[in-house]
Order: sequence, then structure tokens, then C-alpha cells
Amino acid sequence: MTWQRADAALYEKEKTEIEAHFPELRFIVENDLVYVRGSFAVMFEGQVLDRYSVELQLARNHPAGLPVVREIGGRIPRHVDRHILSDDGTACVLLPDERWRLWPVGSPLLKYLTGPFHSFFLAQTMVEEGQPWPFGQWAHGAKGIFQSYRELLKTSDLRVITTYLDYLAAKKVKGHWPCPCRNGKKLRDCHFEQIKDLREKISRKDAERSLTTLKVAGTSAIEMTEAKPPASLTRS
Amino acid sequence: MTADEYLRAVLDSQSLGDDSEEVGALQKHRAEVEKLIRDNFKDTAFTIRYAGSKAKGTMNRESYDLDIISYVSSGDNSAGESLEDIYNNLKKALAKKYTVEPKGSALRLKGCDPENLGVDFHIDVVPGRFTDGTKTDVYLYQSGGDKKRLKTNLDVHLDHVRDSGVIDAIRLAKLWKVRNGLPIRTFVLELAVIKLLADKKKRSLSAQMEHFWTELRDNSASLTVEDPANPSGNDLSKCLDDNLKSQLSSAAKRTLNQIDSSGWEAVFGKTEKQEKAARVEILRRAAAAATPTRPWLPKA
Repeated sequence: MTWQRADAALYEKEKTEIEAHFPELRFIVENDLVYVRGSFAVMFEGQVLDRYSVELQLARNHPAGLPVVREIGGRIPRHVDRHILSDDGTACVLLPDERWRLWPVGSPLLKYLTGPFHSFFLAQTMVEEGQPWPFGQWAHGAKGIFQSYRELLKTSDLRVITTYLDYLAAKKVKGHWPCPCRNGKKLRDCHFEQIKDLREKISRKDAERSLTTLKVAGTSAIEMTEAKPPASLTRS
Repeated sequence: MTADEYLRAVLDSQSLGDDSEEVGALQKHRAEVEKLIRDNFKDTAFTIRYAGSKAKGTMNRESYDLDIISYVSSGDNSAGESLEDIYNNLKKALAKKYTVEPKGSALRLKGCDPENLGVDFHIDVVPGRFTDGTKTDVYLYQSGGDKKRLKTNLDVHLDHVRDSGVIDAIRLAKLWKVRNGLPIRTFVLELAVIKLLADKKKRSLSAQMEHFWTELRDNSASLTVEDPANPSGNDLSKCLDDNLKSQLSSAAKRTLNQIDSSGWEAVFGKTEKQEKAARVEILRRAAAAATPTRPWLPKA
């Protein structure tokens, strides 16, 4: 059963909220998939700064999954440098591992549209005006995952990062396991609280995907990363 | 932004570089015009050159024309016996590819194909004949007016403007003429600017413009200009009659009042640079208030 049938109340709530806040966006159901399509206004202080023709394909497991976003007006070049996949025009709005910070699971779709989605198109307008990405950008692929965890965990040690991801992807973590920070202590005596906190924020599926990507890339994920990482780990 | 910085920005936004689309189109037409003339007058060694604002360096994006002079040598009758014949024969030749409108001494070219019918290409072809073998002075045919022949000298005109030291003021005055719909001939306006600013070259651009308008407002009735190529033979007084002087005075008064009450932007409007800067500024403010989100592409 599709999510919109399984939770008709949520569907109605999301639809009403979005269409009230963005009168030019419409909910459309096609082949059991829910799309939100129309003209999206990049706004600031009540002023329309720009407009994009957009399509959000809500995940089959909405709201757990992230929507697939496309700019369908042909305005943004399908180029990796604009964070648009050239094959299907998918816009890469955010790194899924960062979702907890931007659009936590359980948040209304409206928060996604007014948050990371809006920021993505605002950034596209700024880039079009010759400005740099206003919030920065992650490098593509494994390199970006490495950058993100390096910033989150404040370490540039790939072994530490992959052990963290290993623990985030595990069904359970045990206190007697060695701490991923590699100081020789047991997890319960070191970064256990941090691991528990991150396991609530980052889904096992996302951690598993990032771990696989990093393992496949190996040390090239670090070698390709130019920025200097912070020197040491901090305990949560 | 100071008044002078603003005026420079206005001029920058009005600049037409050689690589601009507009100049590219003009150059293409110039090549076509030259070919058309040479193909139709195989026995005539025409001197074909740029004149007008393109040659003087006073071109503005908002209103520009390309003057192409086409002079025959003194004593060369192959393109026509009289000046009027040369003028009409050139008109006939150009009409094979353009709609040609007589305009004083010039022939204005417009589109005649179905896809560009009546489109003004901003090109004037000026036929003439050199007065002697030195190829300096030239006689032009005048399609209107009492005298049918006008003696002039392109290089004297070009040098007079190019060496005036007030090119920027001339460009701003031309823009002011266009924005205010003033029916003054550009050549006459250029001469007026040069004359009124003759001893003000070292002043800032804003001070020059204020002086120019103050003179027009207060003393336009006594303003006269002379053709530097033919001071006694080319009477320009008809080009600067009392009615026009009165219009210039009123417009200058209005402009000075605008500067006084609302600043320079009220005269020439916001520049592209200012508009872009304002847009970037509001985008930056929007970004500062937005959820910081870094995009990420799964594929390397």
C-alpha cells in the first residue's frame, strides 16, 4: 500500500499545508507516486527573488525517505558543478547523512520546502549571478561524505570515520567495543553517548551507504580533499 | 558611490565594445554596404570609412548610429556628374539591399526583407566628393535647405571631438538628449559641449556636467556654435534656433533641479551595475537568513 493511502490524514495535511503556503505548487498522484509540481518562488521578506519550475517526487516511504527533486524549466544546466545529475536532471539538494540537521524525520514537508529546498534554489540564483555557493558545497561522491564526517567528528582519520560509520550502520552497539576514536578505551568509557546520539540522527541505511562509498573510494577520498581538517577529536 | 563614480558607471553601462553584439552587427552591415557600393561602382575608387560616434569614441549603447562616408576623388565623375547624381546613384545602388531614406546629406539604411522590413539598422551612408587631390576637404550634397552643396572635412570633425578632452561629458550630454527627447542634432550638441567646457577640462565629470547645464539654463539664448571644418560656409544657426534653445534651457533647469532634490540617479537612473549590486545584496541577505544547506552529488 502506498504511503498516501496508508496515511491519508498525513497526505491531506501535507497537501493542504504546501498548497496554502505555495499557491503555485500542486499535489499530483501519478502511478501511485505523489508529485509536487509548479512554480517555486525563492522569497525573502515577502519579495519574490526568483522562480523555478520544479517537481518533487515524494519517496514511496515518505516521510522517511527523501524526495527526488528536479528543476523542470530547463533553467539550470544539467551539470555536476550545479549539483544536477546530467542523466535524469535530479537535483542533489543535500547529503542524506545531514538530513537530521536540515529536515529531521517526522518534520512536515513544508519544512523541507522552506528549508533546504529553498536554500538550494536560492544558491542556484546566486551562482547564476556569479556569486559563490552561499553555504559552501560538499565535494561530489565519497570526497563529500568524507568532508562531511570530518567536520562532524572533527577528525581527518579515515579509519576513525569508517569505524564510526560501522557503528552507526550496526543493528546494535555494545559498550565493550573499542571506541572508534582509537584511544584504546572501551566505547562505554569514551564516545558512547556521541554514538548513541548520532544513531538517533543518522539512519542506518544512510550510514551503510556512506560506509560502502568510502570503502570503495579508499584513501582517495582523503587524498582528493584539499581543505585541512581540524586537528583532534572532541568528546561529546 | 560619489557623483563621479556614478557617472562613470553610467558610461560603463553605455559602452559598446568592439566585441559587443551591437558593434558586431554594425561591422557586418558595414562590410555589406562597402561590397554593395564597390560592386555597383566598379570604375570608382570610393574612399569608404567610419565616421560619426564610432570614429569619435562617443558611442552610447542606448542610441547609436554608424556613419559610413563614401567619397569619390575630385574630378571623378564615374559615380555621377554632380553631387546630387552621386547621392542619387548611391541611393539606387543601396536600395538593391536596403530601404533607403534620404536624411540631409546622408542615406539612412533600413531593412527591406520580409523578416526585417523597416528595421532601422542605425547606419547612415554619407556620399561626397573630395574638393581636391589632398583628399581632406569634401563637398556633400544637401537634400534639404537653401544650399545644395556643403563643404566639410571629416578629419577636422573627428579631431575636434577626439581632442576636445571632454569625450565623457559629450557621451553624457548625448544620453541626456536621448532621455529628454531633445531635437538637437548630435553634431551641434557635441560642438556646444566642447565650447561650453573649453576651459573646464580639468574639472570633475560631475562639475563639468553641472556647468554645462547651468550655461544652457542661464545663457542658452546667446549660445552659438561653429562648424570647425567650415566656420564661415556652414551656417549652423538654423540648427540652434530660439525654440530649440528654449527647450534646452528648460531641460537643463529641470535636470539641475533633479540633481538638487533627488541626486544624480534621478537624471540617468540606476545603472546596471547598481541594479546587479542591489540584487546580489538582497540575495546575500536572503542567504544569511536561510537554512545553510550544502548540496552534494552522489556521483563523483
